[in-house]
Parts: sequence; structure tokens; C-alpha cells
Amino acid sequence: MDGFLEYVPGDSLLHRLNPVTKIAFAMLFAIACFCTSDLAFLCLMLVFGIAMAASCSMLRQTAGLMKAVFAFSLVLAVLLLLTTPKGDLLIDLPWGYVGTGSVLAAIATVMRLEAAAIPLFLTFYVTKMTDLSNSFVKVLHVPYRYAFTFASTVHFIPVFMNDMKGIMEAQTARGIEFDRGGIVKKIRLMMPLCVPLLVSSVRKTNSSAIAAEVRGFALRTRESGYKNYPMTRTDWGVLVLGVAILAIAISLNFL
Amino acid sequence: MIEIEELTFQYREADAPAIEDVSLSIPSGTFAGIIGPAGSGKSTLTYALNGIVPHCYPGDLYGSVRIEGHDTCDTALTDLSRMVGSVCQDIDSQFISAVVEDEMLYGLENYGVPHDQIEERVKEALDAMGIAELRHRSIASLSGGQKQKVAIASILALRPSVLVLDEPTAELDPASSRSVFTLLSHYVEAHGTTVVVVEQKIALLSEFADLLVVMDGGRIRFADAPEEVLAHSEELLEIGVNCPRCTTLMNRLAAGGLYEGPVCTNVSSACRALCEVAA
Repeated sequence: MDGFLEYVPGDSLLHRLNPVTKIAFAMLFAIACFCTSDLAFLCLMLVFGIAMAASCSMLRQTAGLMKAVFAFSLVLAVLLLLTTPKGDLLIDLPWGYVGTGSVLAAIATVMRLEAAAIPLFLTFYVTKMTDLSNSFVKVLHVPYRYAFTFASTVHFIPVFMNDMKGIMEAQTARGIEFDRGGIVKKIRLMMPLCVPLLVSSVRKTNSSAIAAEVRGFALRTRESGYKNYPMTRTDWGVLVLGVAILAIAISLNFL
Repeated sequence: MIEIEELTFQYREADAPAIEDVSLSIPSGTFAGIIGPAGSGKSTLTYALNGIVPHCYPGDLYGSVRIEGHDTCDTALTDLSRMVGSVCQDIDSQFISAVVEDEMLYGLENYGVPHDQIEERVKEALDAMGIAELRHRSIASLSGGQKQKVAIASILALRPSVLVLDEPTAELDPASSRSVFTLLSHYVEAHGTTVVVVEQKIALLSEFADLLVVMDGGRIRFADAPEEVLAHSEELLEIGVNCPRCTTLMNRLAAGGLYEGPVCTNVSSACRALCEVAA
């Protein structure tokens, strides 16, 4: 139920919002994070993101995401630190220096990536993929085949991750030591498993495409969807909030 | 009505045909069971019925398959799927949605079933499979047996005139397997649906099927009423199909001249026959 990118049922405000609103707000939020380097603003955005996660009881999953994003953004932060000589000199380097501005830029990068990822990540946990694709078709008039492709892609991520986990467990049962050693050893052990995973993934995708086709995939139109996704006043309010956040982020650059 | 005439199909990469010279006629409203050892061509035969062969899996096809008079080669897969509902062997790959309710709605929405009928159909199919309480559950959280019931229910909701199921009870316990067969049997009687089911549980097939097809090496070895087919228990054993033990016992008694009645396909009929022999 709470596997990676698998829908978690609930009745929070985020769960109840129109799927189009959720994805639009998440995008506006992420763009806003990338439009400014103001640390106080990014800090507020991060707190806002965590508050959203708390409102739909997704703190544990969000903490997992933040840990993963932190590891990735740390690499970028170190690169920035070493290649952006700004502000007062802190450490002298043969090709430049690390300055106070470099440190601030590195911190901003970490906070920006952390804050931008949270709403997008939450959207996938509080929205059924079917609702997301159906609302794209109904509200945004996106052709169903494109919406279905997007939904299927996200749908298959946890499926393939579970497959990989299954293959690794089977290999561990045969004496392969996945549970010991560092990350490099694990990656080396995982490389040969990519081939069986790829084969089973292609097979599953093909079977799924056939299953969709024998249930009338080609007949689907915009009117086919049983559920409707009306935009409520709350949805419009959330969208206005998203636009306001983006406007503030942009305006901070001119202050 | 399903009519298969001298059907031979060889997958593009294969060295030999998966099915060869298969001819079979299944009247409307028949419950047909297909059994045979692994690699005998059972699944390929079901693919030929629902049009997956040759529309999705390319290869050389000779002969013809007609569903309600429509040649499966000349009819688009989408049009065929309006007549033939299919439940695949690999249940997990059949699911399009993450939640049971959405999975039930998928086919109904695609086929343009009027929205005022959808709720009734979903409820009826879920109730029929005894899984109404799973309606809002995530499919990933279901057991193998529950997934199989959801897959069958999502096809039953479409009310196809032909239902093709490839090992639909593979992950079900004996009681659930029986309830699925009882339900399919009910569909045959109530809606005149033609049911073709590939199954390894011969006791269930012999109890519920009107027509039992035994396949071996891509060919049909027997296609008759279960009582007639099960009379060949020794030949069935040779090709890897075990008859129900009560049938084997009564057939041996018959071979030894101790019993002269009809073939017993289940325990109760064997008990009655044994009582008669003992008397």
C-alpha cells in the first residue's frame, strides 16, 4: 500500500483537490523555487512543503524523499562550492576560492531542490493515477493515449521496483551478499540483474498493452470517463495561491 | 458459436507450430474446458479465440477461427474484444489501474456503457465474485486469489458473449475455485454466455464443463463430453493428464469387469456406483 509512488488513500484537503489543481500547484511551486535564491523564501517554501506533507499524514514518506534528494543535491552543492567564487574569501583554492557567497549558493541549491520536490512527490501519493490521467482528458482535453502513457509510466515504476526487489531477494537466498558491503559493491552486484529485469519489464509492458487493447483502449473518448472532475472554489483558490507564490518568487529578484 | 477449422499457428521466432491442425466447434452457451500438459498449446488456442493471435503476436496462421461468424483475422482486435472477454494467465500484467474500482470501470468506460448502468454492473460483478468489500482497495495490497477474482469481475462486468479464461483459479484455494466455476456455470445458464476455460483442475472441469478438450503437442487429442473423455484415463495419463482418482478407480474396476455403468466423474457418483457393485 505504501510502496514507492503508490497511492495512499485518505481524506485530507490534498486528497480532495482536483488532480489538475494538484499537479498545476506542484509545478508552480517548483518553478517558484527555481526563480529565486532568496534563502528566507526557500526556507519558508520548505516549511510549507513539510506542512503539506503533515496535512496528509505523509511525513514518513516525505522524510525518505528528502533524504534521497539531499544526497543528490549535496553533490551539486559541493560542485557549486568549488566552482562559484563569490563573497568574502573563506578557503583559497588553486583555481579560485570558496567564499561566503559560494556557501550561500550551495545551501540555496539544497533547499531549492528539497522544497521543489515535495509537492510533486506528494501529488503522486495523494492522487490515483487513473484520476490524474482521466482529469487531464476531461479538464485539459489531453488526448487519452498521451494521458494513459503518462499514467502507465508512473504505474510501472513501483511494479519494476518490486520486481527488482524480488530478483535481489532471490539472489540473496542463493548466497549473493546484497546485504553486505558498500554502495559500489551493491551496484556491481546489481548490474547483471538489469538484464532479467529489462526482459521481464518489456514482457509486462507488452502484456499490459494487450490487456488494455482487448478491453477497448482504442475506443476511448473524452466522454468515456465515468467520473467527472469539476473545479471547485477551493481548487481555484489553490491555483491563485500557486500563482501568487510564483509572483513573489519572481519579484524577490527585483528587490 | 465458435468455429475453429484446421487451425495451425507458428510464432515468428519458433521452430515448430504451437498449435497444429486444430478443428473445434463450440456452440453458444457451452461451458468448454481445455486441459493438457505444459506446452501443449492451450494458451495459444485461447489467444486465437480472443484475437491476440495473430493481431498482437505475429506468426504464420493457417485455417480459420470464427466467433459469432466473424473471422478473427479479418476483424479488428477492438471489435473482437466487444464479443470476447479475456482473463490472462499473468493476472498482474492485466491490471491497468491501481485501485479495484478503477479497474472495474476501465472496460465499461471504454466500451461506452451508458453511465446510468455502470454502477449496477460494477456492483453486480463484484457481488458475484464475493469481493464487494475490496472495491476501494489498492490492487497492490491484494492477495493473489483476490487479484484473480478482481480480474474476472472486471471482465464479467462487460457481459461479453464469449468468455475466455486462462487458468483463472491458479492462485485460488479449492473453495474459491469451486465458487468461480459455479459462477461461470451460472453465467452460461443465465446469459447464454459461451465460456472457454483453460484449467489444470480436471475434477472441476469434469464436474462443470459440457465439453472437455484435451490438448497434447499442439493438437486436440480428445474433444467430447467429460464422461466420454474420462473413459480414456490410461491414455490421458500417458499424455500427462491425471483423471480424478475416483474416475481412475472406477475405470479400473470397469476394465476388470467389476463395473459396467457410466464413467464416474466425481466422488458422489463413484460412491453410488461402488454401493451398487457391493450390493
